[in-house]
Amino acid sequence: MLEYILSLLPTMLGGTVITLKLFAFTLVMALPIGVVFAIARLSSLRFLNYFMQFYIWVFRGTPLLLQLLFIYYGLGIVGIKIDRFTAAVLSFVLNYSAYLAEIYRAGIQSIDRGQFEAADVLGLTRFQTMTRIILPQMFKRVLPPISNEVINLIKDTALVYAIGMSELLRVAKTASVRDFSFIPFFTAAIFYLLMIGLVQQFFKWLEAKYDYYR
Amino acid sequence: MYILQALDLHKSFKKTKVLKGITLQLAKGEVLAIIGPSGSGKSTLLRCLNRLETIDSGVIEIDGEIMVRNDPKGRAVYSSEKDIARIRRKMGMVFQNFNLFPHKSVLENLMLAPMLVQRIDAVKAKERALALLDKVGLSDKVHNYPFELSGGQQQRVAIARALAMNPEIMCFDEPTSALDPELTGEVLNVMKDLASDKMTMIVVTHEIGFAREVADRVIFMDDGLIVEQGIAEDVLLNPQHERTKTFLSTVLMAR
Repeated sequence: MLEYILSLLPTMLGGTVITLKLFAFTLVMALPIGVVFAIARLSSLRFLNYFMQFYIWVFRGTPLLLQLLFIYYGLGIVGIKIDRFTAAVLSFVLNYSAYLAEIYRAGIQSIDRGQFEAADVLGLTRFQTMTRIILPQMFKRVLPPISNEVINLIKDTALVYAIGMSELLRVAKTASVRDFSFIPFFTAAIFYLLMIGLVQQFFKWLEAKYDYYR
Repeated sequence: MYILQALDLHKSFKKTKVLKGITLQLAKGEVLAIIGPSGSGKSTLLRCLNRLETIDSGVIEIDGEIMVRNDPKGRAVYSSEKDIARIRRKMGMVFQNFNLFPHKSVLENLMLAPMLVQRIDAVKAKERALALLDKVGLSDKVHNYPFELSGGQQQRVAIARALAMNPEIMCFDEPTSALDPELTGEVLNVMKDLASDKMTMIVVTHEIGFAREVADRVIFMDDGLIVEQGIAEDVLLNPQHERTKTFLSTVLMAR
C-alpha cells in the first residue's frame, strides 16, 4: 500500500502545486482589494457606497462555481478568451474580495469613534488616520474571521476541476476511478489537512504577534 | 485682543436644539471653565470650537483667523479645509476617554502627529516627547503601552500628546470624569501646572474645586444657553441665578 501511495505522489504534488498557486495568487490580490472595497463600502459618496453594496450582493449571492463557469466559458462565448488559470484567479479574487470586504468593514466599524477623533484633532489626514491608526487595529480584530476565509479558500480551489484544471482533488478522483481504490481520496485528505494545519499555525503566530497590546 | 471668539453659535442634532446662541471670548493665557448639568450642551460647545462638530450658524474666530462665519441667509459657512486644518492645529484636545492609540507605545503616541503633520524628524520629535513626558511625570513609562497604565497615567499621556503639537489653546472635555476619584488629583495637578505656565485653556468640567482654584473665568451653561458667567470666585461662591445656585448646591452636596 505504501508503494501505491508513493506512486500517487508525483501527480498529487502536481495537483497541489496548482492548488497552492491559485491560493497564493488569490490571497495576494483579494486581501488588499478587500480593504479598498470595505473603505468604499463605508464611503459617504452615495454612488460608491451603493455600488459596493450591489457588488457584494452579486458575488455573495451567486455560487462561486457559477462565477467561475461564467468567467471562463461565458466570456469565451462573447469572444473574450482568457486561459484557465487567469479565469480561476479572476473569479476567486472577485468573490473573496466581497467576503473579505464585509469582514474588514465590521472590523473598521468596531474601532472606537474616539480613535478617529483623536487622529482628527492631531491634524492627521484621513489617509494617515486609516493607514496609521484604524487599519492596524482593525487587522488584529479580524484575524479570526480572516483565518476562516483563508481556510475556506484552500478547499474552494477544488472547484476549478469544473473548468478542466488538474488540481489536487481532481487528480485524486482520476486515480481513484482508474485504480478502483479509496486511497487516493485518503491521500488527498492528508494533503489538505497538512496545508490547513500550516495556515492555522501561521494565524496562531500572527495572533501572538499582535498580542503586545489590548 | 482675544485668541478665540465665538459669536451666536447655534447647533441642532436632528430636531433637538443643543446650542441656542452661545457667545464667548477667550483672552490669551486665560483659563476658562465651563460647568453645567449633563445635557446642557457644554461638551458640544467645546467640540464645535475645534470642529469635531459643525455648527448651524454663528462665527468662530481663532487667533485672528475666521474658521466659520454666516452667509447672508445666516447659515454657517466654513473656510477651506486647508485653512481649517491650519487653524485647528492651534488647538489641542484632551478627551474624557483619553483616546490614546492602543497599538502605539507611550513614546510613539507622542511622536506620531509631530512627525506626520509637522514633518519634524524623529530625533527632534523624540526629544520633545521625552521632555513632555518628564513634565507630566511619566518618564518611566516611555516604552509602555496604554493598556499597561492607570487611567490617570493615560490621561497625562493624552495631555502630553496634545502638547506635543505646540498648541496655542488646550481644550479639555471632562478630563477627569472617566477616572476613579483617587486618580483625578494627578491629572488636575498637571493641568494646574499648565495654567501656571500661562497656557490658554478651556476646560469642560464637573470639578468645581478645580474651577475655583485654577480658572480665571467660569461659564455656567444650562439648556444650550450661557446662564451666568464671570470671575470664577464670583460665579462659584456667589451665584446670581437660581439655576446656578441649584446646580452648585447639588454638585457640592454630592461630594
